[in-house]
Amino acid sequence: MAGPSTRVLATRALRASAERPRWVRGLVSVAYFVVPLVVVVGLWQLATMLGRNPFFPQPFAIIGNLWTLLFGSEKAVQDVFVGQFLATVGRMALGFAIGAAWGVVVGTIMGLWRGAREVVSPIVEFLRSIPATATLPLFIILLGGGDDMRVVFIAYGVSWFVLINTAQGVGSIHKTMLDLGRVFRVSPARRLFAIVLPAALPKIFAGLRIASTAALLLAIVSEFMLALNGIGFSLVVAQSRFNLLSMWSWMLALAILGLLINSLLEFIERRLLSWHRLSRQRT
Amino acid sequence: MTDPQQTVADAVLVDHVSHVYGSGPSAHHALADLAFAVKPGEFVSIVGPSGAGKTTLLRTLAGLLTPTEGAVWVDGRRTNGVPPGMAMVFQDYSRSLLPWLTVEKNVAFPLGGSSIPKPERRAIVAEALEAVGLGGFGKRYPWQLSGGMQQRVAIARALAYRPSLMLMDEPFASVDAQTREGLEDLVLKIRDTYGMTILFVTHDIDESVYLANRVLVLSRPPARIVEDIAVDLPEPRDQITTRENPDFIHLRGHVARLIHGGGEPA
Repeated sequence: MAGPSTRVLATRALRASAERPRWVRGLVSVAYFVVPLVVVVGLWQLATMLGRNPFFPQPFAIIGNLWTLLFGSEKAVQDVFVGQFLATVGRMALGFAIGAAWGVVVGTIMGLWRGAREVVSPIVEFLRSIPATATLPLFIILLGGGDDMRVVFIAYGVSWFVLINTAQGVGSIHKTMLDLGRVFRVSPARRLFAIVLPAALPKIFAGLRIASTAALLLAIVSEFMLALNGIGFSLVVAQSRFNLLSMWSWMLALAILGLLINSLLEFIERRLLSWHRLSRQRT
Repeated sequence: MTDPQQTVADAVLVDHVSHVYGSGPSAHHALADLAFAVKPGEFVSIVGPSGAGKTTLLRTLAGLLTPTEGAVWVDGRRTNGVPPGMAMVFQDYSRSLLPWLTVEKNVAFPLGGSSIPKPERRAIVAEALEAVGLGGFGKRYPWQLSGGMQQRVAIARALAYRPSLMLMDEPFASVDAQTREGLEDLVLKIRDTYGMTILFVTHDIDESVYLANRVLVLSRPPARIVEDIAVDLPEPRDQITTRENPDFIHLRGHVARLIHGGGEPA
């Protein structure tokens, strides 16, 4: 008998939990997300139409203004979408990548060697207790007001989440799994890449998810000071000009960006860690 | 000193091995001056009271642990670390199989670093899975299989490695009784087909006698060998007739008395 594939088993398990066809469940989950949003936006729209208030523009005006800001003209696309929006995305992505790589490397070393863990832990505990945002003035003094400073600042703040999670993930790998590599005389490099890192991947990913949220936060904060462009910069400029509509539009842009990043990571996680999710459903 | 000329014949030679965990007053003496030899193709069971240091002994034989004193010789060579040609089946199959790999890839895992070409590697994996009765399950994931089947995968992985020596650390401790009988007979069949030496740690007295040519009974720690018992039961072993054999009943009683006496000679 040829066994059913993983995917078939997975769908079957899901189906057993909710006795509905797939498209109905899809629709329901979308509705759970969309309906509350629509209700809040509707109420807000209604309230702003009843009593005008300069601090709370109409939601449809905010959405329309964001579209005009980013894509209203060819010049807008160039100056605002590329010059402001993508500038922030770029800094964030680079800072996140560097911070995540550093966190995985140091976290793995800490997870594998107790000596390293004991020496490094107090330093880690102390440094990560300083709110990352509070280190921005120091980074400006050390590295100036340019983009490299912002990237390093984001990488620094982001690395802690990845580092702590990686150290925990690697440190909690069962001894049998490590023995296995040694018993079959697997090379140290292959033990690291084929046993240690995959085993710690669920934990590492949990760290990456938190880190991605932090990366956006730190990117925006870093653009509040000495920046020449970016979403954070645009927010501050809009505020200083008392352009409340644009302020709201930029906040909306950030919400959309945050959602996109989260969905992207969720998508990668589902692909990479389906074994983890499915094996846990089993037990 | 051991004469190397003499050790060539032994698959495993344990040369006055002692092991102490820690030091000072809190030190734990796990093994005390153990000495025994295992011939090629022999099936040796190791039993003893719980906490007797069976696992310490096996980890020492595997080269995962360096003994405080003495040495282990495998195939006439003094071991320093994990010797080549040795495979191990762990007790905890759910942790010894890699959940992110399919059954096939788990079995192929020890071959990953070798120079064996891909088609040949595939053939080895297929043969190993066939030998444990899991042909056709290669594309599944370990966690989709029952406990007994998972342990079969672990045995197939050990087979694919083509070992001359196989260490088994209470491999059937966490499967149900019926599955266990099937796995015991599977191990005997494999031993006959591949002609390897097997060292089998167990806490099950019946199992130790049923499987082995020899049973080593360890004492409470620091572990010494209380008795080295030859098991001269008719081959092939059979789950029903072997267990009915008066010699089997006598032997299992003898081993049980030794263990319940805390490993003191009766």
